[in-house]
Amino acid sequence: MLEPETSSSPATEFPPVEPTNFDMIIVGTGLQESIIAAAASTAGKSVLHLDPNPFYGSHFSSLSPSDLSSFLRSSPPYCSPSLLSDEYDAIPLSARPLYSDVEISPEELENCRRFCLDVSGPRVLFCADSAIELMLKSGVSHYLEFKSVDASLIYEAESGNLSSVPDSRAAIFKDRSLGLTEKTQLMKFFKLVQEHLEEENEGLISEEDMESPFVEFLTKMRLPKKIKSIILYSIALADYDQENAETGEDLLKTKDGINRLALYHSSIGRFNAQSAMLYPMYGQGELPQAFCRRAAVKGCIYVLRMPVAALLAEKGTGLYKGVKLKSGQDLLSSQLVIDPRFVVPPSLALSRRGASQESSQDPIPAAVKGKVARGICITRLSLKSDASNLLIVFPPRSLCPEQATSVRVLQLSGNVAVCPPGMFVTHLSTLCHDASQGKRLLTAAIDALFRDTMPGNSETSCSENPEDTSASESDNMKVHSSALLWTALYIQEITEGSVQTISSGPSPDGNLSYNDLIDVTKKMFQQLYPGQEFFPEKASSEDPEDKNSDGGCRGDNSSEKNSDGGDGGSGSGSGNGNGNSVGVYPEYL
Amino acid sequence: MATIGHNNLNAKLVLLGDMGAGKSSLVLRFVKGQFLEFQESTIGAAFFSQTLAVNDATVKFEIWDTAGQERYHSLAPMYYRGAAAAIIVYDITSAESFARAKKWVQELQKQGNPNMVMALAGNKADLEERRCVPAEDARAYAEENGLFFVETSAKTAQNVNEIFYEIAKKLPRAQPPQNPAGMVLVDRQTDGSRASTCCS
Repeated sequence: MLEPETSSSPATEFPPVEPTNFDMIIVGTGLQESIIAAAASTAGKSVLHLDPNPFYGSHFSSLSPSDLSSFLRSSPPYCSPSLLSDEYDAIPLSARPLYSDVEISPEELENCRRFCLDVSGPRVLFCADSAIELMLKSGVSHYLEFKSVDASLIYEAESGNLSSVPDSRAAIFKDRSLGLTEKTQLMKFFKLVQEHLEEENEGLISEEDMESPFVEFLTKMRLPKKIKSIILYSIALADYDQENAETGEDLLKTKDGINRLALYHSSIGRFNAQSAMLYPMYGQGELPQAFCRRAAVKGCIYVLRMPVAALLAEKGTGLYKGVKLKSGQDLLSSQLVIDPRFVVPPSLALSRRGASQESSQDPIPAAVKGKVARGICITRLSLKSDASNLLIVFPPRSLCPEQATSVRVLQLSGNVAVCPPGMFVTHLSTLCHDASQGKRLLTAAIDALFRDTMPGNSETSCSENPEDTSASESDNMKVHSSALLWTALYIQEITEGSVQTISSGPSPDGNLSYNDLIDVTKKMFQQLYPGQEFFPEKASSEDPEDKNSDGGCRGDNSSEKNSDGGDGGSGSGSGNGNGNSVGVYPEYL
Repeated sequence: MATIGHNNLNAKLVLLGDMGAGKSSLVLRFVKGQFLEFQESTIGAAFFSQTLAVNDATVKFEIWDTAGQERYHSLAPMYYRGAAAAIIVYDITSAESFARAKKWVQELQKQGNPNMVMALAGNKADLEERRCVPAEDARAYAEENGLFFVETSAKTAQNVNEIFYEIAKKLPRAQPPQNPAGMVLVDRQTDGSRASTCCS
């Protein structure tokens, strides 16, 4: 991988940015900002996309351990209030920390550059989800390669074992942990859901049931506890304890549960993938890069390592006009989209002409919605000997009685190129109210995962007693030292986005999928450019990629196990003999 | 990366070089046999593919253009990933573009893919009367750095096909892929985009 040059290319050495007036300036190359950049460029808007960092992806980047450490600990970007402008009022752009309670040990790791760690992991794509649809529709999928997540496991508190999740009929059939009765019950339930979703059977599940909590519906269907747990936490991926929910908001409704089940099932078998879930090769940081490339192809201008020093407001009116770069250059735009890390000065937020007063009263970005605790471990041992990329769910109360949220774990291997062969990167996350609560859960999960392989393992606990925690932590470091090479724990604020003259997307959520983020981004785009289509359906037909006659086995031809697939792919391309173009041409010709 | 399926080789090829050196023009000449006198900066083009028959095999190039992201030194790592070959392009009428070409070579060398085939193309060879970079200087630099060098003209087609054929011949044959390949998504359920299950 080519490392971005951090020191040798100071921002000031750049040639001035041309042109100097844009429809939209975007600061930060996180996934949502990158999608907005690609969508706006596709819609014909002139877009300038800046990032103060030397890498793409912002909160959705994949970084080496040392870069991750400095990204999480970086103080808000430097802003000089002394930068003056004759024509405009310069208003400093202030930032707030999204990350806190960062604990990393050890600080140094060998071959550090060979790891790509997701800043907002664990995250996967479901084969039939809206993120995949967007990538196919926008043509961005051509830049990416994926691997299947080959196993989904659930932690069983009673036995302390990880057992595989029977998520499809085939998996139920093969499952060894379920009894015959349980298998029949689960099979029947999947069948009911499937029949309900077929149009002619609308109303098979009553309206009343659809609005009731999913957990009650599952109970009504007489599903045993174990099966309920699998459906709620490993397939519907509920965040909170459904049986002891603190508030009704944390409860999944039957209709939502069924929708999630339907998404999961329609994801199985798509693209001939081995499971419902996919992970991008080289890490989640490839997704924003791919959307940025798409944006660049459509004319968006990219400048990394370029902080914004101040916002420019029209003298007198206070209306937003543009930004002052750290290089000193003033650039104007009609609209500005900023990374969720920045806080828009309220005076500017009010400045949109015709903006209704009540909507602009909100502080921007809106208040923090909650927190997510994230953890990353680098290990030498796979958690399951016959699988390399796998998802593990610790349902609520499986680690300790006070566990109110699911802890989700994604182990990734060298075959997705995020670490050297023989090593593993394990991402963990859980929603939490406060940092210590979140970290206790992650630590308990790490204990349960890695201590099991060690002799003399003791009961895991997520006791509230801080002394206990510190004692067990230092203890763990010794116990784990042979398998666990590196650990990072941190807390990330979940913020909401807002759309004004100056807009900001939400910070990464605590979900396993990108679906909510994609939905919010689409809505943001529609508010920014009402009436403009979010990636027109036929947008990609003008691109060379789409007419590539090769069936899309680009990466597969190499695989010996795959000789039939390889044949189909390269055969069609090479059958033309020599010199025949398979690509088609861009619109400027 | 260069990957092999029987006698077919798939190779990602990236283009690097200063704005206006003629990267897109070289590709368009090679892929389509076209040349535009006033080629706009690269907007809209990003990916071409072209298949060549070389000796006993066919090489399918997947050619990635920079999409202008090189302008403010903001190329994404994704661009270089898995590239089996690179053409570094400069304009023989611009000493500055030659200096920039050397910087791109350094960047590629830093990346440490020792098997990458690198070619240095002195483009706009038809503009002999305005030449600023002597061919000998470029050839000497190329030899020192293990690149092969030709002067090209996208306008007259001089050496354009040759540079791609030369790269195709130099691509390592029996080399296992550096990284395991993943699946590319194609929205056709029956299509052969199958997950590769091999572990590294």
